[in-house]
Amino acid sequence: MVNFTVDEIRGMMDKKRNIRNMSVIAHVDHGKSTLTDSLVSKAGIIAGARAGETRFTDTRKDEQDRCITIKSTAISMYFELEEKDLVFITNPDQREKSEKGFLINLIDSPGHVDFSSEVTAALRVTDGALVVVDCVSGVCVQTETVLRQAIAERIKPILFMNKMDRALLELQLEAEELYQTFQRIVENVNVIIATYNDDGGPMGEVRVDPSKGSVGFGSGLHGWAFTLKQFAEMYADKFKIDLVKLMNRLWGENFFNAKTKKWAKQKDGENKRSFCMYVLDPIYKVFDAIMNFKKEEIDGLLQKIGVTIKHEDADKDGKALLKVVMRSWLPAGEALLQMIAIHLPSPVVAQKYRMEMLYEGPHDDEAAIGIKTCDPEAPLMMYVSKMVPTSDKGRFYAFGRVFSGKVITGQKARIMGPNFQPGKKEDLYEKTIQRTILMMGRYVEAIEDVPSGNICGLVGVDQFLVKTGTITTFKNAHNMKVMKFSVSPVVRVAVEPKNPADLPKLVEGLKRLAKSDPMVQCINEESGEHIVAGAGELHLEICLKDLEEDHACIPIKKSDPVVSYRETVSEESDTLCLSKSPNKHNRLFMKAQPMPDGLPEDIDDGKVNPRDDFKTRARYLSDKYEYDLTEARKIWCFGPEGTGPNILVDCSKGVQYLNEIKDSVVAGFQWAAKEGVMAEENLRGVRFNIYDVTLHTDAIHRGGGQIIPTTRRCLYACLLTAQPRLMEPVYLCEIQCPEVAVGGIYGVLNRRRGHVFEESQVAGTPMFVVKAYLPVNESFGFTADLRSNTGGQAFPQCVFDHWQILPGDPCESGSKPYAVVQETRKRKGLKEGLPDLTQYLDKL
Amino acid sequence: MANFTTDGKLCIEREIEIQSTDAQFEDLITRFDVIETCKWIKDNNFFTVCLQFPDELLGVSAKIYEEIKKRIDIDLYILGDTSYASCCVDSVAAMHVKGNAVVHYGHTCFSKTNIPVLTVLPKKELDIEATMKVVKDNFNSDDDKKLCLFYDADYEHCGDMITKYWFQNYPQNYVAYIELEENPNRFFGRVVRNKDGEQFTVEVLQDCICVNVGSRGQTLFNYTVSIAAKEWYLLDPDKYKVERLEETMWFKRRRFLVEKCKDAQVVGILVCKLAGDQTKDIISRMKRLCKVNGKKSYIVSVGKPNVAKLANFPEIDIYVMIACPENELYLTSTKDFYRPIVYPYELEVALNSNREPYFTTHVTDYDDLLPGRRHYCDINHVKETTDVSLITGKIRETKVDTNEGSSMDLAEKQNWALESIGQNLQDRSWKGLEQKLGESEVKQAEEGRKGIPLQYSNETK
Repeated sequence: MVNFTVDEIRGMMDKKRNIRNMSVIAHVDHGKSTLTDSLVSKAGIIAGARAGETRFTDTRKDEQDRCITIKSTAISMYFELEEKDLVFITNPDQREKSEKGFLINLIDSPGHVDFSSEVTAALRVTDGALVVVDCVSGVCVQTETVLRQAIAERIKPILFMNKMDRALLELQLEAEELYQTFQRIVENVNVIIATYNDDGGPMGEVRVDPSKGSVGFGSGLHGWAFTLKQFAEMYADKFKIDLVKLMNRLWGENFFNAKTKKWAKQKDGENKRSFCMYVLDPIYKVFDAIMNFKKEEIDGLLQKIGVTIKHEDADKDGKALLKVVMRSWLPAGEALLQMIAIHLPSPVVAQKYRMEMLYEGPHDDEAAIGIKTCDPEAPLMMYVSKMVPTSDKGRFYAFGRVFSGKVITGQKARIMGPNFQPGKKEDLYEKTIQRTILMMGRYVEAIEDVPSGNICGLVGVDQFLVKTGTITTFKNAHNMKVMKFSVSPVVRVAVEPKNPADLPKLVEGLKRLAKSDPMVQCINEESGEHIVAGAGELHLEICLKDLEEDHACIPIKKSDPVVSYRETVSEESDTLCLSKSPNKHNRLFMKAQPMPDGLPEDIDDGKVNPRDDFKTRARYLSDKYEYDLTEARKIWCFGPEGTGPNILVDCSKGVQYLNEIKDSVVAGFQWAAKEGVMAEENLRGVRFNIYDVTLHTDAIHRGGGQIIPTTRRCLYACLLTAQPRLMEPVYLCEIQCPEVAVGGIYGVLNRRRGHVFEESQVAGTPMFVVKAYLPVNESFGFTADLRSNTGGQAFPQCVFDHWQILPGDPCESGSKPYAVVQETRKRKGLKEGLPDLTQYLDKL
Repeated sequence: MANFTTDGKLCIEREIEIQSTDAQFEDLITRFDVIETCKWIKDNNFFTVCLQFPDELLGVSAKIYEEIKKRIDIDLYILGDTSYASCCVDSVAAMHVKGNAVVHYGHTCFSKTNIPVLTVLPKKELDIEATMKVVKDNFNSDDDKKLCLFYDADYEHCGDMITKYWFQNYPQNYVAYIELEENPNRFFGRVVRNKDGEQFTVEVLQDCICVNVGSRGQTLFNYTVSIAAKEWYLLDPDKYKVERLEETMWFKRRRFLVEKCKDAQVVGILVCKLAGDQTKDIISRMKRLCKVNGKKSYIVSVGKPNVAKLANFPEIDIYVMIACPENELYLTSTKDFYRPIVYPYELEVALNSNREPYFTTHVTDYDDLLPGRRHYCDINHVKETTDVSLITGKIRETKVDTNEGSSMDLAEKQNWALESIGQNLQDRSWKGLEQKLGESEVKQAEEGRKGIPLQYSNETK
């Protein structure tokens, strides 16, 4: 570490207004990690000359080999702003008085959709986001996804147009064309922002604007970047115009006539767009001179832009020289760090409006106020967003952000997992924090304590949390809100050790894997199979590799990838189903019906959830889904697990003792919703109605033993009489390719039951974007298939979108769902064949 | 006890499936060893003897009773409808009539008893020559690969012939003889011997290929899962067919249940056997295991368990059943039970860290887990730990009960119980009788119901 020490950082941590917590987010391959390197080189952790080559934040070997970020990595940097730049910070909460130094905690996140859970985890602990867009390919699906998530988490974005070198060298765009490209990207980004953010909301206006300096341009690979502020500074003295005014002039519809020295708002024959004239022209000239080896011009130009070439670079030419020149003229670190310091919010500013999104408890308790004011003296509130493996096998650093108070080595704290509920003891542990640490890329440094507004790691709490959790010293604290991922673990493989006796090692490994990834699920199924579920093939591939090499350390066998299915119904039950309890004295009358479109998704998203006030929820259901108001008020429960997308509704009238058996009926419903009748898969989108119940007059004869199994039988009968169906997960798939390859894409998609719903050209480029729905089950090997059919020109990004009914009747042998049901039953060790209705349905 | 729960009508109306025996009267005497039985009773001077029959033999029970009574005049009782399983000796029922010996008929599991028992094995015809030919066609042995013959107890009557043929073909190999007497090498009522009658322990089978002549059933299943042998084969003498037996799927499922045991907070110790001191020992061992692992345990005794009875305790997370290893509830493949049922051995594997967590052979008979027996293992001291459950995806914690046996036990325990009841009650929406004071109108007292709850005498159907 060259430029700063841990003690200096610790000093900075107290200056909470000078802290910036930010993540770098983008579509895959738009150059985040490379860009991050130039920031790191500026902050002085690696030597400046190697910026653009090292991928500092890619700490794993496979990341370096594949040139793809898999895990998000945090680094802390220290940067001093010059006096003249400090004036740009107007909000008093954005800067401590008489302090020029800024502590920047940066998290580099992966761009591939399969790893977007890492992005979610990164966004949670940061307040600002540097959105990187490749100016050649423009705004892509993942840009939109992560930006949407950022806005939803109330993360303020700034924009960086990357890969300008490619636009100039490969595409050879004219200045005006390049401006139009930039303009379009800015617009696209602002459209997304506007869609998900309310300008009048607590975050205020978050649009990005080049003329304000919140948009950067440059090339991460070559290590140069600028905002309009840099150029305005060059010209301000010459023109005698105020810097801010000039920045406004340098973007948009501002034209300058060199002859008349007049500014105009419209283009005419004589004038030229100011951005092209003052910003792009000089860059074009430098490029032209160096790349075309115009030796004589180079020296003059260098003098003009004030760059002197060091002795060791003197004999370079072409691209190598260009790099050196551009990097000395417009150093990327400088421009970016300025953008970050000036435009991204400090924790003090951000936590004020983020508290209500972050905290589940009342907004006026000590914890809430501590978060809101980012008060280091308030009780500790820290959110652990992910676990980072340590060199000590099986142990993890708990990585997260201190929102309030201080986390101190040796402090006793309450560790609350996601299932913790205030006043209860589940998922709650009171333990000592063994050590607090600072995490910087590949290195960790011990640190005594960390105050609010900072990001850090903890040692010794990993045993009490699976993936995430809240750490607090406040006895009445509620949880910090659980993160919502934009992807789901829909692709599954079964794993087993090559040597069966290694099973205990595999189980240990799976437990570690479950911790190390924010989203992966490791499941021990009823049949005894061990399942690893991830977002996509790539995600699983990486997880399994980690499992084999790092976590279990044994050779493993894995099955082909499969998807999980859901069971649902397509009609209302054709009869009123009756089931009698074992003692024949209790009778349940119920029916099943499919939920209206959109309701299961509303339940998934938490728009309709079990904790809502029942009146509000009933109103919503009746307004949006035309549910009967009185019935909607009597939703007994959601399931499976009390929260799933199936409901049990009491539609009965005047049944005696009904309230006494409610718990038993609910238990039976949870059971049936978790293990459906066809293949014991979860149910989805089914509404069960209880129409009538007759009960024995004596409490002992309507106890759990009589009611729980009977409810399950009755629900199974309801399902079987309501045209049961299977649902499969479907990807939204976005494919970018040149026009010639479009035909090939259609062919591949058709073979795989995919269907295209949008096809458009990316404006200003020859690229086409095809959007399609593709069943996840058909997506295995899709990328390779697509490449071979398009000569390697098409690149898909698939993200789970929705559940869709698998066409066909699972009860009809020969149909596709029938085959799926039989296969699943066999795998689970169930009796083959179809469930028999007479086992569940009783006669009056 | 019957009077408390049913009016007896159910019992009488219950239909049982039996195979009708068209055995001739003369046959009965040899088929059911009447002469030998009488001799045994006489030699031992028993004066009250119970004849225990399984359901399918109840039809001939009276005739056997008469035959014995004719030959020897003592108090004889017929025991039917055994409390738990008819393969076990119902010593409790025998004690009700102060019997001093039991003659057990039908299929037996050879479990230990504390009362003198004469086991009359069922008899089935066997074409020995044809069967042995099938064996010969399918199996050959050399020095590395030994064979061991098992045959169903039904063929014991021609056991001498079978073993004779066997040793003719495979002189260097073994036979697992049926052994009715206690013997240190005895397992599942059998002892392995070679041609010269030399005894071996069960471990010798590890390198053997075991061939069972007989039919598929619970007994054979227990052999295949709990006797470590190289391979298991079944030879069905009715079909002359040989089939390889493997229970990998079953073991996978059982390992899942072991994980389930670790997840459980509340364990129900389901008692489905009465006879013997071992039952008491295993119950206290299960209790102790739960206690050192910080799990709560309740002893549940509900007669023959069924779905409805066990679902009456929704707070219990898993049941460990103390029963004869041949109890079919261990194996119910239908998942109708609200909570799973496991073998004592599985709870041991889950909660006793001294045991190997990965098992390829099972211990279905809990007797073997007790001190002094083959699979006994000290209970380890448990450390307070946490770990991730792959079933629920949540953290599971082992809370250690530190005050084992101290004088504070009672006081502590009371709080503990109160707390846990509070937790369970909190999750319920209906917490008991609601008074609704002032809400319901005042009524005159009226006559209530009469009789027992299942069918009140003044209840309309």
